[in-house]
Amino acid sequence: MLYYVDLAFNGLIFGCMYALMAVGLTLVYGLLRILHIAHAAVYAFGAYVAVIVANGTGSIAAGFAAAMVAAACLGMAIYRLLYQPLLGYPPYVAMIASIGLLVFMEDGFRIAFGEQGLTFAHNPYPTQLHEFAGLTVNTVQVAIIAAAVVCLTLLALFTTRTRLGIAWRATVSDAPIATSFGVDAVKVRYLNFAIGSALAALAGALIGLLNNFVEPTMGFVVSYKALAIIVLGGLGNLQGTLIASLVLGLVESYGTIFVGRYLDRDAIAFLFLIAVLIVRPKGLGGIKTA
Amino acid sequence: MSAYATSVLAIIGINVMLAVSLNMITGFCGQFSLGHAAFYGAGAYAAAFAAGAGAPAPLALLAGVIIAGLLGIVVGFASLRLRDDFLAVTTIGVSFLFVGFVRKQPWLGAEMGMSKIPSSGLGSEGNALLILACALLTIALSLYVNRSWMGFGFRAVGDDEDTARTVGISVGAYKLVAFTLGTAIAGLAGGLYAYFTQFIVPDTFGFIVSVTLMAMVVIGGTGSTIGVAIAAVALTLLPEVVRFTNDYRLLIFGGLLVLVMRFAPGGLAGLGRAVLVKARGK
Amino acid sequence: MTHHPRLRDPRLRGGPIAIAIALTLASPALAEVKIGFQAPLTGPAATDGVSAKTAAQMAAEKVNAGGGVLGQKIELVTYDDQARTDEAVFTANKLVGQDAVQFAVSGSYSASGRAAAPIFQKAGVPFISAYGVHPDITRSGNYAFRGVHLGPPQGRAAAKFVGDNLGLRRVSIVTMDNDYGQATVEGFKSAVDQFGIKVLGEYSYSLKDRQFGSIVASVKRDNPDAIYVTGYFFTAAPLVSQLRSAGIRAPIVGSQAFDAEKLLEIAGPAVEGVYIVGGLDRDRDMPELKDYLAEFQKRAGYAGENVGATVYSAIRLMADAITSAGTLDQAKVRDALAATHNFPHLAGELVSFNALREINMPMNVNVVKDGKFHHHAWIDDLKLLAPPTE
Repeated sequence: MLYYVDLAFNGLIFGCMYALMAVGLTLVYGLLRILHIAHAAVYAFGAYVAVIVANGTGSIAAGFAAAMVAAACLGMAIYRLLYQPLLGYPPYVAMIASIGLLVFMEDGFRIAFGEQGLTFAHNPYPTQLHEFAGLTVNTVQVAIIAAAVVCLTLLALFTTRTRLGIAWRATVSDAPIATSFGVDAVKVRYLNFAIGSALAALAGALIGLLNNFVEPTMGFVVSYKALAIIVLGGLGNLQGTLIASLVLGLVESYGTIFVGRYLDRDAIAFLFLIAVLIVRPKGLGGIKTA
Repeated sequence: MSAYATSVLAIIGINVMLAVSLNMITGFCGQFSLGHAAFYGAGAYAAAFAAGAGAPAPLALLAGVIIAGLLGIVVGFASLRLRDDFLAVTTIGVSFLFVGFVRKQPWLGAEMGMSKIPSSGLGSEGNALLILACALLTIALSLYVNRSWMGFGFRAVGDDEDTARTVGISVGAYKLVAFTLGTAIAGLAGGLYAYFTQFIVPDTFGFIVSVTLMAMVVIGGTGSTIGVAIAAVALTLLPEVVRFTNDYRLLIFGGLLVLVMRFAPGGLAGLGRAVLVKARGK
Repeated sequence: MTHHPRLRDPRLRGGPIAIAIALTLASPALAEVKIGFQAPLTGPAATDGVSAKTAAQMAAEKVNAGGGVLGQKIELVTYDDQARTDEAVFTANKLVGQDAVQFAVSGSYSASGRAAAPIFQKAGVPFISAYGVHPDITRSGNYAFRGVHLGPPQGRAAAKFVGDNLGLRRVSIVTMDNDYGQATVEGFKSAVDQFGIKVLGEYSYSLKDRQFGSIVASVKRDNPDAIYVTGYFFTAAPLVSQLRSAGIRAPIVGSQAFDAEKLLEIAGPAVEGVYIVGGLDRDRDMPELKDYLAEFQKRAGYAGENVGATVYSAIRLMADAITSAGTLDQAKVRDALAATHNFPHLAGELVSFNALREINMPMNVNVVKDGKFHHHAWIDDLKLLAPPTE
């Protein structure tokens, strides 16, 4: 019995990780209808900044802060330089450009920082163990869950309780009307990319800390899964994305044990996606909201 | 002809077939498919399996075409229910599902792949020439379809599905035909590849290949047969020609995609048209 | 050849350029023996590709410093095969066709070695796969040799180590799902009865995985006496770390590919006490090995491991065979290779090649102690390790 709880808990951790990543992706899609695949490069970028700054300053906290700030800037730059000029074209143009950017950046990481990847110089957290309810977890796993809960709660509060947040939701729902009410659509877009990218960087930094390993291709693996998640959740739908993240985490956790003989991990995730889409072509989320 | 030149020509031919057939699905009919490598792979494995079971080459190649085409129909049905980005992500899923499935099947060679595929009897050069002939046929077919009523139907569906429906065009049928045609050709390419190399592994048909094929279509100019064919040749030759930059290969490829999309989203065909317009304007 | 005093000072002669050219053409020092070399310099296997290239260059330089082969220098013609079959085919064809290499070494993974071998075989080019383990490489023909143990013997050695050396019975297996992992585990399983081992559970993971929560939970439930794991450092390090984090204390026995410095760096104290079957014995009292490790560290910036060592030895082996054949005739060099006896391979004594040109060689077992790899035991039951003969 404990075994199944253990598996569920692991699924939860995967899910939180995916959620932090996918939120940014779904925000961008909701606003601009662009599949921002380069988001995975922002994720990896966050991890690299975190480990380099942490090793340079001796403070992991500084590394994380730097990662989130730098990624927010990177995200806004990607919007301004790559997506904004392409808004008038069919969406696949931006998507292909995004794929190109991901490939470019990941190879850039390899060339700049080596194929072997980087590790944190002083990282005791993955081996700091805590016991509860018969499960053994380490500090970083707890941090991942905490980060996901805190960030997403803050995001929810932000979009429902603050003026800027409400303006944001309005822009996602209906940009022209929002603009006619005085909402600055461009400012909202920058905010969108900044927040989404900061969250991705946080996810990347946390994973880098968890594995004690930052490698050039770390973004690829998560990028397709994140796409599958936002589709599952109903493109642009925040709640749907969260549900889909957690569900996919659980599916992978159980699936790799019980079905792993016939399909590999990625295939299991996508099989699940396709199965859901057959039944509900609009995904799990239903009606689109911000 | 040296063995090296033969192998380069063969791969160029294969890539042309794959890119031009993908263009039929995505360029003509507007159905964004990031899973084309799965059909290529299905054709290769089907042909290899049939050949291993004793089938003569033409039959094995036919098996490749049929299996890939059938898979294409299945995915085609999915395209009826799913639109745009949902479809794009689903096709990504198809790409991963194919590799993820094949890697675990011992009867398909699992990770080791299928080696010792029987010879087609044509020899290396013969195989390469056959591939080139098929590539040319594919281009011809694509050009013909484009000018035909089928091409008109495809374009109508690709441009605006809903309007096409109101005009009485059977959108579903056209989508299915596009998928079947495009994937069947990809299956043929797969079978030819299997005979040429006599050794296939799952990784050869992974998602990166699907992305590369889409890049060829987009850089060539979505919808333009000639543009896509040229892009396929160029992108295949580029790494061979600039081998000294090999370490930066992916950097260059990614950068190229970004630059082309950012500054010339119409691809080579778009640039070509712009040049022609300018020339006429003088 | 008599020396004409006039030629020593070409300025004294009319047409100094013509003479310089004549001198150049006549000089034997510039005739070189070309050895083709393939490695995955870019792509997912780039870490091993860089190791391989560094080691190969070191070996070539060492050979040339010692006078080369038959008075000629060896020149490596290196291509990146990206660990992909079609690139391996392209580059092999280039080596054979355009570059006209006389001998070849693959410093790449299984699939590329498998794709390249028939091309070299057809061209009559003696070929050594330094560490690629696809079984069909040597079956391509009698010009194809392999310089590393196949997967199954590695697995059998691990079974013997667990059963005999450690004296443990109940084992859980965690393996990477590529051909190398699968073949190694097949070997392990084939020997379990012989060593009284019971396999409690077998789990596989993808090379892209870094989080192994479900597998860890399953192993915890098995509660084994020992855990046998196959993997490269980038999966082994997180896996071992997570197993230990879950409170699993059973000894972990790892496969050859664990053997990289990066494993220690990433997993830190968690890897302490892990055994590695097929790891490089860095403690061996062999001057060439010590020189190799020192030089490799300087050039690559990280400590030498198995991949580099096998590639270095493969180049040395080829050079050795040319020298002992006494000729560049490829058929004779092939025969000399096949007749190799007690060659000083960096990883151990290469006793001989069998009928299928696979190595007969003992296997080292390392243990991680005080954050470093140390020799722990030798598995020298050559009968157990015997590779297939066809």
